[in-house]
Amino acid sequence: MFVVVGSASAEMLPKQREFFESKIRPVLVRQCYECHSADAKKIGGKLRLDSPADMLTGGESGSAMTPGDPDESLIIQALRYEGIEMPPKKPLPASVVEDFVTWVKMGAPDPRENLPTRPAAEITTDKAALWAYQPVREVEVPPVKDQEWPKDPVDAFILSKIEDAQLSPSRDASPSALIRRLSFDLIGLPPTFQDVADFQVAVQKDRRGAVRELVDRLLASPHFGERWGRHWLDVARYAESNGNDGLSRNPSFPHAWRYRDYVIRAFNDDTPYDQFLTEQIAGDLLPAGSPEQRDRHLIATGFLAIGAKPAKAMNDNFTMDVVADQIGVVGSGIMGLSVGCARCHDHKTDPIPAVDYYALAGIFKSTETLWGAAAHQKLTAPQTPLHELKTASVVSPHPETQKVLLSHTPRKEPEKPAFEHPLGSALAMGVRDAKTPADCKLNINGESKKLGAAVTRGFVSSFAGFDHSIKIDGKQSGRLELAQWLTHPKHPQTARVMVNRIWQHLFGAGLVRTPDDFGVFGDRPSHPELLDHLAKRFVEHGWSVKQLIRSLALTRTYQLSSDSDAQAQQADPENRLQTHHSRRRLDAESLRDAMLSASGQLNSVPALGSVIQETDVLINEMGDLHQPSQHRSIYLLMLRNSMPPELTPFNLPEATTVTGQRDVTTLPTQALYLLNNDFIVEQASRLAARTSIHADIDARTRAAFRHALARDPNDAETRRTRDFVSEVELMLASSEHHAVAGITDAWAVFCQALLSSNAFRYVD
Amino acid sequence: MLQSASCGFGYLALAGLSSASPANLAPRLPWVRPRAKRVIFLCMSGGPAQLDTFDYKPQVGKKPHPGSVAEFKRRGESGAWVSDLLPNIARHADKLCILNAMHADTGIHAQSMLQLHTGDRLRPAPSMGSWISYGLGTENQNLPGFLSLNTSKPSVYASQCLPPIFAGTPIGINGEDMTHATISDIRGDHLPLRVKRRQLDLIQEMNRDHLALRQNDAQLEGVIQTLELGFRMQAAAPDLLDLSGESQATLDRYCVGKSYEDGTCRPSDFGRQCLLARRFAEAGVRFIELNHGSWDQHKNHRRDLTANCASTDAPIAALLDDLDQRGLLDETLVVWGGEFGRPGLTPGNGKDETGHNARAFTFWMAGGGVKAGYTHGSTSETGAECADGKVHFRDLHATILHLLGLDHENLAVTQGGRRIRLTGLEGGRVVNEILA
Repeated sequence: MFVVVGSASAEMLPKQREFFESKIRPVLVRQCYECHSADAKKIGGKLRLDSPADMLTGGESGSAMTPGDPDESLIIQALRYEGIEMPPKKPLPASVVEDFVTWVKMGAPDPRENLPTRPAAEITTDKAALWAYQPVREVEVPPVKDQEWPKDPVDAFILSKIEDAQLSPSRDASPSALIRRLSFDLIGLPPTFQDVADFQVAVQKDRRGAVRELVDRLLASPHFGERWGRHWLDVARYAESNGNDGLSRNPSFPHAWRYRDYVIRAFNDDTPYDQFLTEQIAGDLLPAGSPEQRDRHLIATGFLAIGAKPAKAMNDNFTMDVVADQIGVVGSGIMGLSVGCARCHDHKTDPIPAVDYYALAGIFKSTETLWGAAAHQKLTAPQTPLHELKTASVVSPHPETQKVLLSHTPRKEPEKPAFEHPLGSALAMGVRDAKTPADCKLNINGESKKLGAAVTRGFVSSFAGFDHSIKIDGKQSGRLELAQWLTHPKHPQTARVMVNRIWQHLFGAGLVRTPDDFGVFGDRPSHPELLDHLAKRFVEHGWSVKQLIRSLALTRTYQLSSDSDAQAQQADPENRLQTHHSRRRLDAESLRDAMLSASGQLNSVPALGSVIQETDVLINEMGDLHQPSQHRSIYLLMLRNSMPPELTPFNLPEATTVTGQRDVTTLPTQALYLLNNDFIVEQASRLAARTSIHADIDARTRAAFRHALARDPNDAETRRTRDFVSEVELMLASSEHHAVAGITDAWAVFCQALLSSNAFRYVD
Repeated sequence: MLQSASCGFGYLALAGLSSASPANLAPRLPWVRPRAKRVIFLCMSGGPAQLDTFDYKPQVGKKPHPGSVAEFKRRGESGAWVSDLLPNIARHADKLCILNAMHADTGIHAQSMLQLHTGDRLRPAPSMGSWISYGLGTENQNLPGFLSLNTSKPSVYASQCLPPIFAGTPIGINGEDMTHATISDIRGDHLPLRVKRRQLDLIQEMNRDHLALRQNDAQLEGVIQTLELGFRMQAAAPDLLDLSGESQATLDRYCVGKSYEDGTCRPSDFGRQCLLARRFAEAGVRFIELNHGSWDQHKNHRRDLTANCASTDAPIAALLDDLDQRGLLDETLVVWGGEFGRPGLTPGNGKDETGHNARAFTFWMAGGGVKAGYTHGSTSETGAECADGKVHFRDLHATILHLLGLDHENLAVTQGGRRIRLTGLEGGRVVNEILA
């Protein structure tokens, strides 16, 4: 275990501190401070209970306490109602009095005098568990026996561990498996039959060259940002509505989509990751070279504004709930640490004291969050203005959405807009500095009504070692400095967390398998040296995401076959050593996009705006707002608590917290989707129609396989299809089934089977 | 192996679990003698006003307080107090075990709702129904073990770090029309059933060919299994969801299709929910949650309270009647309550207003091994504080698990080094006083 050592309370055991914080301080604050503290209107009996020294000195009745001797302590006598009766209205529960007795017996350990200044947390032990707090190391590339095998230092790190375990890597993936893997991983779409054929020819001539060319082509595709932007949107808990506020109200965020488009473009432009983060945290405070750039910077700060909020009604903690969401997304999303735990108490295992939390909270509390009208429900969230954009254009909502809107009578007349923007302004969610930035007071047990001392704004103190020159300008919120601190080349975590995310999206699982938590509760890296090697490389190459993806895709490790031998299965069932590539299910978006590609229906042009833009409504009152679309899934309407039905069965994130890793579940409701959902039935019919130009049954089978699986059927498959189609044709002809939307074409029945098959839904 | 799995269980973690702990829906023997086989949880979201339903606080003492505004009577042989706003539930007073000294940690809706369902108010955690189907499996292999009707948000029925097969299957979204709510894609009328069977046979043939080239892939095998379960659900669930076979008398008793809407009271077709619950219970579903709300009557307390009571009273009574008549009540634990309760009207302001009270509120249970016609715990003169017989959500959870034959101390998983259980770090206490 480690101990968090405070400057003036080094003698206090963590247990004692915790006892005081959980049992004693809250009672003192709630029951006694009103009369017995510096803030009291008139100090009762001249006794102050808000500082340890004053408790000993005492008031008119003498010392309030004899440490170690409860029976001699006035405070205990008073709590017991022996002679003096405190609190005067009624005695406290016996258990609370007993806590005070225990505390006095302990010697009344009291950390309070330390509060105004922040203790510098110091880690004394268990460095292994706290590896994430250590600087990124300079590591040597390890030696390997098979020196021919590695194509990149990454391969040496991987092979050396495989060799240590006396295992061997699987063979290289076949060209057809590799191009399918690369296409889905880099742009989220399947290759066409022709792409596969061309690649196979190119590989025969020069495998490395062919792969390099393919990777470069995919990285340059505008679909790259649509794929990798979506990964970031999971981290950014992106959605276009607030989600249920706890009172069943779900206001729309009609401008959130601008942030989505910003993210897609940032990945396509290969915006350096440090800049990408800085724009999202402090874009409003950055100098801009043009009005267009200024707009982009403002939109980027939507990152901090799109969170889900609980209702304002009856919630004294509302402001701090918004801050908690922001600390959560920065903590888990960027640093991979659950800073949020310290909202109510010092983190139980990580060296993150509550004062660190409130140091960060001060930054966000000095920030005004602009979420807009929140559908005109002040009990959900009071209205705020929005960023007005200079160069962006306004697009109208989807005509079908407008129809739904017009047919809708609001349950309650909406409140008058509190903030008017010039007619026709393009607007964006985001943040800006508050008028009077200030430090935040510690909230005892996370309650905004129980306040401790103010905590100077700052960062996570356990990381303080790498740069002391970043100091917050008291007149600003401190977001710009926070961004500088996070993107400092020596920050131990920022690069590690991102390279781990990139690794995970390419290999199926991270080197650290808890991508949002590198703390004591999180996973340990399978290859710590490789993680540091990649983090260093990432920073040295200018935080270029594309360049890192390129290098990883070109490693031999990435290009391994997904077949594994029994020995490796036995020795390493989770494939932590990467002896082979991990087979993966298509995620919700890729599955839908792949079906649209197969059916020929995909509209690969980016969708404009959102079907609910400019639409301030309560989603829960609107019925179904999802409109049919042939655009890529990232452009669908992402409403919290009402995600697109075409995607929901396949583990979409809830979008309330950082979701660096989606669940991959296998559920009967997914089976029902494959068997019955209108979308798949529609795509199956389209795919069948697309193949109907072929009169010959075998030619038609071939066309269907090429569109769906980018390969030709083998003889057995051709025969099986022939039998199936003729059998089903007979069944349908003899059937009395006359459903209106029914499939009448046996080929569509066959195509639905193709789209449902594991061969279609999994990537080797 | 679980040590390293994140809360996002991949199939590897799932495969690992299946060897050590149950990762399938097959029914399992409880650990100790069970008193109940299943749970029907009547979730009254928004914080029902206990002072006007079950915790009678007339103005008796010196301290002026508005107390109960509804009329109360002693009911049945047990003489339990039940409000006149719930005349039908009152008929069942001798079946109820009323817990008047419930308490929770927070008066914030979302947090307390999460704590009620998962034990944790701040972080996502496995839901009670997930823990129970994880512990016991389910009796009907054609249906999920945990169904959640008219539910508010996924976090209250999430399996979180338990294998996903134990997640609740939602039917209807809170605030939407419950009259037609169903399991997504359960119906597929686009093809005759025998064509669908033939189609599934083809899919499975392709999947087996695909699997044959890819040895030992638990996930691919899992797909083949769930396709069959999904196919079976298609046959089993629509009939269960279809009430057209019920007599008009039954539909009337349950008030199916009747939804009151007034102020905070939202239409929930609670009659349909209750009738569905009976049918799911008969079909062997392990944990069924129903939802009605919102009981969050800040203003117009009397009006909204009346509507909420009227929406739920007859349906709940009909459910208790039917479970009793079919001999199912003994083995079905019915639980009623919300995320917290309410204080009396704000004293002295003359308005019809209440707030939140998490320090004292009421739950009741019936059937499944709890004392019948019994009131446990009491509150202070104004009903604002618990006086004795306090029961925290953690104690409630421990007791529900106990009644099902599960031990809350040991029904736990280890995730990233952290031991996770329904009753959390603090642990709960089985409320032995209420066990029959």
